[in-house]
Amino acid sequence: MKAKYFLLLFFYGLISCSNDDSGDYQKILIDFQVPSNFPPLAYDLSNNPLTEKGFELGKKLFYDGRLSSDGLISCGFCHIQANAFTHHGHSVSHGVNNAAGTRNSPPIQNLAYQTTFMWDGATSHLDLQPIIPFTSPIEMNGNFSSAINMMKNDAIYQKLFKQAFTDGQINSENMLKALGQFMVMVTSSNSRFDKFRRNEVGGTLTQDELDGYAIFNQKCASCHATDIFTDNSFRNNGLPVNPAVNDVGRYRVTEITQDLYKFKVPSLRNIEKTAPYMHDGRFFTLDAVLNHYSSGIVNSPTLDSNLNNGSSLGIPLSTLEKSKLITFLKTLTDNQYLTDTRFSEY
Amino acid sequence: MKFQLKKIAAVMALALVFTACSKDDDALGGAGALGLEFDTVFGTSNLILNTQTNTTSQGENLKISDVKYIVSNIVLTNADGSTFTYPKSQSYFVVDESNIASQTIELTNIPSGNYTKVKFGIGVDQTQFNLGASGQGDFLTKAQDAGMMWSWSAGYKFVLFEGVFSSATVANDTSFMVHTGQTGTAYNYTEITLDLPQQATVRTNVSPDIHIFADVAKIIDGTNKVKFSDNTMGGMGAMIMGGANLPLITSNLSEMFTVNHVHND
Repeated sequence: MKAKYFLLLFFYGLISCSNDDSGDYQKILIDFQVPSNFPPLAYDLSNNPLTEKGFELGKKLFYDGRLSSDGLISCGFCHIQANAFTHHGHSVSHGVNNAAGTRNSPPIQNLAYQTTFMWDGATSHLDLQPIIPFTSPIEMNGNFSSAINMMKNDAIYQKLFKQAFTDGQINSENMLKALGQFMVMVTSSNSRFDKFRRNEVGGTLTQDELDGYAIFNQKCASCHATDIFTDNSFRNNGLPVNPAVNDVGRYRVTEITQDLYKFKVPSLRNIEKTAPYMHDGRFFTLDAVLNHYSSGIVNSPTLDSNLNNGSSLGIPLSTLEKSKLITFLKTLTDNQYLTDTRFSEY
Repeated sequence: MKFQLKKIAAVMALALVFTACSKDDDALGGAGALGLEFDTVFGTSNLILNTQTNTTSQGENLKISDVKYIVSNIVLTNADGSTFTYPKSQSYFVVDESNIASQTIELTNIPSGNYTKVKFGIGVDQTQFNLGASGQGDFLTKAQDAGMMWSWSAGYKFVLFEGVFSSATVANDTSFMVHTGQTGTAYNYTEITLDLPQQATVRTNVSPDIHIFADVAKIIDGTNKVKFSDNTMGGMGAMIMGGANLPLITSNLSEMFTVNHVHND
C-alpha cells in the first residue's frame, strides 16, 4: 500500500494554485517519502529542502550542454534515462572535443541513500559530486564563472533561480543545490523486486527468480547489501589490470597502497539496462560478469577477502546458479523509473 | 544563512554588551575595518617568485613559482577575552602570491575593540564541506578561478606550493608540486592562532593592519622535514598531493605564520 502513495510523490495539483510566471521564491515543497524497503536517507534534506522549482532547475541544469566548454556535453549526454542513466554501449564515454574517459558511466538512481560517489569515492557529498564531471577536462571541462555568466544572461535561468531559492542568487552554491535536488529525486523503487519486498500487487516472483534471490543472498549480498544493493565500500574484485590505463581506483584518492585497484561496489538496480559492466565497461553481458566472478578472478595483494577462501579464488557458481541469478537480477528492472517523464529530457 | 546571521548578530550584540560594561577610557562603540596582510617570505628573505633560489636546511634548492592558500574562519580575540567571529559565509579567501590585491584581506564591520589575537583556518573546514553546497555561496567559483579546486576530487586545494628544485641527488631543475587538501584518510584543514605583539585597536576611524609573515620554507622544512628528492616519481618531478606527507605538511603550517607587526592608523 505504501508504494501507491510513493507513486503520488508529487502533488501536481498544488502547482495550479501558484503563479508560475512570477519571479518570486516559490516554496512548493516536495513530499519526499523513503520507500519502506530502503535504508534511511543519507542525504540531509534540511540543508537543501526539495521544492518543485529547485527540482525543475536541477533538471534543466542536468540536460543543459551549455554548461560544458564546447556547449554540447550535458550531464544527460552520458546518463541516458532509458539506460537507467548510463551511457549504453559505451565502455567509456567521450567528453568535450571527443576526449575519451577511462571509466564507465555509472547509473545515478537512489544516490540520496549512498555515502560515497564516483568509482573511486572522490567525494562523499552528493551536492559536490557534479563538480567532478563538470570540471573534468575530459568530461564537461566546465568553468563556474562562464556557466554562471551564461545563466545570468538567460531569462529562464534568471526566473528559475529566483523561484527556487530564497536568496535567488545565480551562484555555484545554488547551482549545485538544484542539481542535488534533481539527483535526490531520481529514485528507482518500483521494480517487481521492490513490489515483492513490500508485498504489493505485481510483486510475484517465479520459482527461478526466488531461487536466484536465495543464491544472491548467499553469495553476493555481503557487498551488494540492502535493497540499494551496495554497502558503499571499495573493493578489488579481481579484474585483471588493463596495462593501457592502469586505473588504480580508490588509491587515486587516498594514495594508500591497501586501496590499490579498489572500486566502489555499484548498485545493481536496473542492471539489465546498464551494460557494459565494471568500472571500465569491459564486460558486455551479465554472463561475462558472472563468469568473471566464478572463474576469472586474478589474485593481487588487495584482492577482496570474500573472493579468496585460501584454497581457491572467486565465487563458486554452477551454470544453473548463474542462470537463476541473472533471472533474479532482471527483476530489478524498474520500467516506471526508466520512462518516468519527471526525469526525462523532453 | 539566516541562522548564521542570527548567530553573528548575537555575537555582535554580546560584544557590544561587553564593551559597554568595560571601564575602558576609550569610549568604544561602533565598528571599523581591519586588514590582514599576508607577506610571503622564505626564511629570512622576502619571497621572489621564479628567479630567486632558496635553500632549505635539507640542502635542496628551490625556485618557487606559485604560492596560494585558502584563509578562512577568521576570529578575533578582544583584550577582555571576548571573541568576534567574522561572518562565516564571508570568511573564505584565496591568498595568491602572484596577485597583490589578494594578499590583504579587508575585513569590515568589526566591532570597535582592542584585539590581542587573530585565529584563522587554512583550507575549508570539514563542517562546512560536509554541508555540501550549502553556505558556499560563490566561493567555489572563486576557488576554481584561482586554480584551487581539484577537478577529479570534489574538494579544494588548501595550500598550493609549486616550483622547481635541485639537490645533491637531483642535478637538474625538476618540478615540485605540493597540494594539500582532504584525502581519503585525512582532512588536513588546520587552524592557526597568532598573538599580536601589540593590540589592534579597531575604532570607527582607526583601521589596523595586521602584518603577517607567511614563511613558505616551513611547509616542507619545519618540525617535519619533507625532501622533494625523496618524492620524485619517474620523470614527473616531486608531486605531494596525498599520502603520509600531507598530514606532516599540514602540521608544519602552524609554524608558517607569525605576526611581524601591527599598524594602528
